[in-house]
Amino acid sequence: MTNSPANASPLTAGHDAIPGDLHLAVAHLRTTRRRRLGLVLGGCGAALAALGTLGLMLGDSTIAPGTALLAAFGAGDGGDLFVVQQLRLPRVLAAILVGAMFGLAGALFQSTLRNPLASPDILGIAAGASLGAVSGLLAFGLAGIAVAVSAFGGGLAVALAIWFLAWRRGLHSIRFVLVGVGFAYLCQAFMTWLLARADEREAASALLWTVGSVADIRGEDLGILAAGAAVLVLGVMAVARTQGPLALGDDNARALGVRVDAARVTTLLLAVGLVALATSFAGPVAFVALVAPAIARRVLSDGGPALLASTAVGALLTLTADLIGNHHVFGVTAPVGIVTGLVGAPYLLWLLATNERKERR
Amino acid sequence: MLTSPTAAPAGEVTRTPDRARRRTLVLLGLVAALGATALASLALGVRDIHPAVVWDALTGWAAGAPLPGDQDHRVVVEQRLPRTAVGIAAGAALALAGTLVQGVTRNPIADPGLLGLNAGASLAIVLSSVVFGVASPLGFIWFAFAGAAAAALLVFSIGAGRPVRLALVGATVTALLTPLITITLIQSSTAFNLYRFWAVGSLAGVRSAALADLWPFIILGAVLAAAMAHRMNMLALGDDVATALGQRVGTTRVLSGVAIVMLSGTATALVGPIALIGLAVPHAARRLVGTDYRWITAVAVVLGPVVLLVADVIGRVALPHSELEAGVVAAAIGAPVLIAVARGRSVAGV
Repeated sequence: MTNSPANASPLTAGHDAIPGDLHLAVAHLRTTRRRRLGLVLGGCGAALAALGTLGLMLGDSTIAPGTALLAAFGAGDGGDLFVVQQLRLPRVLAAILVGAMFGLAGALFQSTLRNPLASPDILGIAAGASLGAVSGLLAFGLAGIAVAVSAFGGGLAVALAIWFLAWRRGLHSIRFVLVGVGFAYLCQAFMTWLLARADEREAASALLWTVGSVADIRGEDLGILAAGAAVLVLGVMAVARTQGPLALGDDNARALGVRVDAARVTTLLLAVGLVALATSFAGPVAFVALVAPAIARRVLSDGGPALLASTAVGALLTLTADLIGNHHVFGVTAPVGIVTGLVGAPYLLWLLATNERKERR
Repeated sequence: MLTSPTAAPAGEVTRTPDRARRRTLVLLGLVAALGATALASLALGVRDIHPAVVWDALTGWAAGAPLPGDQDHRVVVEQRLPRTAVGIAAGAALALAGTLVQGVTRNPIADPGLLGLNAGASLAIVLSSVVFGVASPLGFIWFAFAGAAAAALLVFSIGAGRPVRLALVGATVTALLTPLITITLIQSSTAFNLYRFWAVGSLAGVRSAALADLWPFIILGAVLAAAMAHRMNMLALGDDVATALGQRVGTTRVLSGVAIVMLSGTATALVGPIALIGLAVPHAARRLVGTDYRWITAVAVVLGPVVLLVADVIGRVALPHSELEAGVVAAAIGAPVLIAVARGRSVAGV
């Protein structure tokens, strides 16, 4: 989509020539793409490993990289072992996991709905989860796990409501997106209203919840999150094949043998599941699902849905943001959701600005 | 783009006179509705005032007579008249800006908020409170306006030239500014208190005094928007077609951008980020009069104020002892409208 001239040129070059050349061109294109994907994934993996190690090392007491890595695998003395295994490793893993879930969910939303703006932030699913949590905190005085449950409920309720209202002899992307945006504003307005009505201190703590944090996900929570994510990812792998054709439009996808409605429904269910699960544990970590796929698509620039790359970029983005937020880089200890936008958005803007120039040339 | 083939009957052309009449009727009906809601906005509230008294007060005020001691007259002239004027101005500005944004980006979910304008205004207000100690809504109006304009400038300078990209850049700038707002809010409780009441969106309070300063922007923006309507029609066919038809697409974008900043920046400064009106009203207008932007613009400029005033009046009378802010009510009205439009048989591509 972004790279249509580059995609088209080898094909049209082969068009007038003998079929052998066409095969060659396609094969060449495929190799380039595969190499590029390998590079992006490898780069993200290396960066994740480096930053993850950094996350294990840094804190109130700095631990040497070797010791920290050994402690992560269960070797070392008592103090370091406790700090790494109980405090830092869960946080690093949670950041990676939550980021990957949001990144993947965002890519699924955007490719299935064929709108680069379609993400839980803009479709109201994050706003529904926030409204659930904020009303739980402010109106019903909930605390702890009950807030997570009410957030999960809020997000899921909004997603289902969008669903039923947008359904009309099949699920059209534009309807889904419009209804979703309507819900986003509705939830946002009520949340702002609740915040304006509430006692100042309670309002401030509710505001904090709405930005998302991975600081307190450890032990059993992390296990549940990982297990849920694994199940959903298995599901995604089953439908991933349909994402490329769906990006070409309903009619083309149908012509390519994709059952459009079934594919879209399954994909959206999985994406909503990923978002709702991650949100209930971490809060609506802002904009990862919007920014990560956009970055991934531009870095790959193969016009595809970039599911794998989005997952990796989402994880990297969130881990980076958590490290920055946790270590006073902006002068405050900020929860991860505040920093994700600050980390991802400038990079995406730079990509958008430079891609633009390339295309004009 | 999703117009189903069955939706357009073959006899479309022969029914054109019907259609023109229908459009005129819709517009006239909306103007009448605007008159009625303006009257309701002057008459209803904590103290209900008889329409005849409202009329007396208005004619007296228009004739330049000094205010009588009558309490009702004072309420109408000093409180409700400015409030209604702000509602009409802001509603029209929001709806026009929304129409322009959707036309320029060709993205049906685009609205001024999505182009980063609300985030820019919010950040400016929060910073004005923290850095310059501004504490009253009247003081931060120019900050809000400047913030919205700066954000829009950033968005248009990066995203210009590619409509799809423009919306994405807008969302990204919002993603960049929102965390800055949140960080400041977490650190400063004065800013948080100022912000959370502004962010709901309301017509009440001293903001009406600012209309006296800001109205030229709305008029200029509205004139520009009207001038752009025909260009939007061509732009809807795609950049290439519009260029082939002799339009300078770049100029259209720049002029529309200027109009959007003027309209949306003013409205946001006046009443806060009441975003849904800019999104829902153009869709409703499209549903009422079809895809011709000249008609959409004409309908939006009347429908916007109607929605905002109705929201404000409902907010005034809904709760027995307090007010619901217009922003909340507007969202409660606008969202179902938007959903109903989205559920319609053919959602027109923008």
